[in-house]
Amino acid sequence: MNSIFDSRSLRFIAAAMVVVNGFFPALWILLTSLKTEAELVSKPITYLPHQPTLANYVQAFTDQPLLKYLGNSLAVALSATAFSLLVSALAAYAIARLNLRRRQLILTCIVASSMFPLVTLLVPIFETMRTLGLLNSYTALVLPYIVLNLPVCTLVLVSFFQSIPKDLENAAMIDGCTRMGALLRVVVPLAAPGVFTAGILAFVNSWDEFLLALSLNSNPNFRTLPVGITLYQGEFTFPWPIISAALIVAIVPIAVLIAIFQERVVGGLTQGGLKG
Amino acid sequence: MAGVSVFDRWRDPSEKALGFMLLAPAFALLALIVAYPIGRLIWNSFFDLRLSGGGGIKFVGLENYLLVFQDPDFWNATKNTVLITLITVPGALIIGLGLALLANLPFKRKWPVRLALLLPWALPLAFAGLIFAWFFHTEYGVVNDVVRRATSGAGGQTEPTMWLLRPGWAFTAICMTIVWKTSSFMALILLAGLQMIPKSLYEAAEVDGASKWQQFWQITIPMLTPSIIVALIFRTITALQTFDIPYTMTKGGPGNSTETLAMLIHKTTIDYLDVGYGSTLAVCMFVLSLFVTAFYLKRIGKNA
Repeated sequence: MNSIFDSRSLRFIAAAMVVVNGFFPALWILLTSLKTEAELVSKPITYLPHQPTLANYVQAFTDQPLLKYLGNSLAVALSATAFSLLVSALAAYAIARLNLRRRQLILTCIVASSMFPLVTLLVPIFETMRTLGLLNSYTALVLPYIVLNLPVCTLVLVSFFQSIPKDLENAAMIDGCTRMGALLRVVVPLAAPGVFTAGILAFVNSWDEFLLALSLNSNPNFRTLPVGITLYQGEFTFPWPIISAALIVAIVPIAVLIAIFQERVVGGLTQGGLKG
Repeated sequence: MAGVSVFDRWRDPSEKALGFMLLAPAFALLALIVAYPIGRLIWNSFFDLRLSGGGGIKFVGLENYLLVFQDPDFWNATKNTVLITLITVPGALIIGLGLALLANLPFKRKWPVRLALLLPWALPLAFAGLIFAWFFHTEYGVVNDVVRRATSGAGGQTEPTMWLLRPGWAFTAICMTIVWKTSSFMALILLAGLQMIPKSLYEAAEVDGASKWQQFWQITIPMLTPSIIVALIFRTITALQTFDIPYTMTKGGPGNSTETLAMLIHKTTIDYLDVGYGSTLAVCMFVLSLFVTAFYLKRIGKNA
């Protein structure tokens, strides 16, 4: 297919199409967030804001406890990521390294858990959390998020562990390390890039989750960002500039994370995807 | 070896014991969040179990299931869910393939294109729903503005489309949003597949005088098939669970014309606290997705 796009200008058009498709929605929200209410309801609609204002950002933080939501999302996503990595690293090591019978079956079991539609499990999970008194807590979200992240994290980590030569570990054990010592001193440091990749995927998954966050934590003190942002709209009013400002505040952290680690993210996604 | 303490065993356990220890946390969580809920779900579906109004628990056998099959809301939600899946999965595949082919061109700087594919993937579905609800706003939405500009030359004084206020249009807008949101994940998976196709295949085809079109259908598509199947499975499973985007764009409206099964289950159980009936709905949805998964797995078996 390359010859059609041999010329530089056509290649530029191709890149522009992909870039516009990816960035336009975020860009449009950014422009909306800078417009005044009066400009927003003028017709025909304007594209660039005439009198850019930051007032919407101030309102976004005062109309709803946006900072609180941001903190909740960070707390939930970070602890879910840490625990997902711990649990899946242990499981992945056992699958990749130990001489277990039925290791393929074990891996299949873990991956198959991602095939169950989460929404069908919503009711019993809701009941369980209610019985345990965990509704409206970080734990209520962290526990299911670990399970949500388990398949992709385990897949990524299994293939990373398998890429580390077993001889290194054996050498450490001959030199007097215990099995656990070899795991902690040799395997974990070498697998750091894999752990990191799996971590980003887990973080994005947990940051984005909506249905459980909406159903399990209705108390504003434990509400996460995606749920909180839907609450700016009144029954009949949609303050779009303020919603847009809140959206920009919410998108920036994840966009920065993705921008910095894009190569790792792509690697992890395709690895997790293609092996599953 | 007189004193092999428990501590020593922990430090250097046998292969089997170590395996058990390492796998225990994962399987304990799977039991709590997946296995037990599945059992509980099926159990609940045989009861009249409402958490509102202090109603007790009454065993009703298969009555809930009979009610489900006579429930127009259930069939409406099933129809919407299946339609969304049938429209957005191939839609995202086609758009994603297009994006992947464009992104696979030899650019000098790779990061803008890569980031443009990653951003929609990383964006929460709920945000995508909100952003596109604003795009499709009847009065001030950018979509209607672009349509107006494009058609004003033709002289027709057309009324703006009431995207989210008319059943058919709302459904279309939701499908377009889902396709936009999910096609970039497709593109990332397919791009990785494209990059694994050996260049020598195209060179050989070139020598044999095959056209670009023939090369696309005879080399690119067959070589890409494994990636396409993986992407399709992932996408179909998530499409059946569609919740966030219609919830944030229309809340299922107008009427319940865009209500999906996931939304109906959420409404029945979390809003109305009718756990028994909600569980029955969930079991039905569960069976539907099992059929789909089984269908795909059978296909994979044939291809392998």
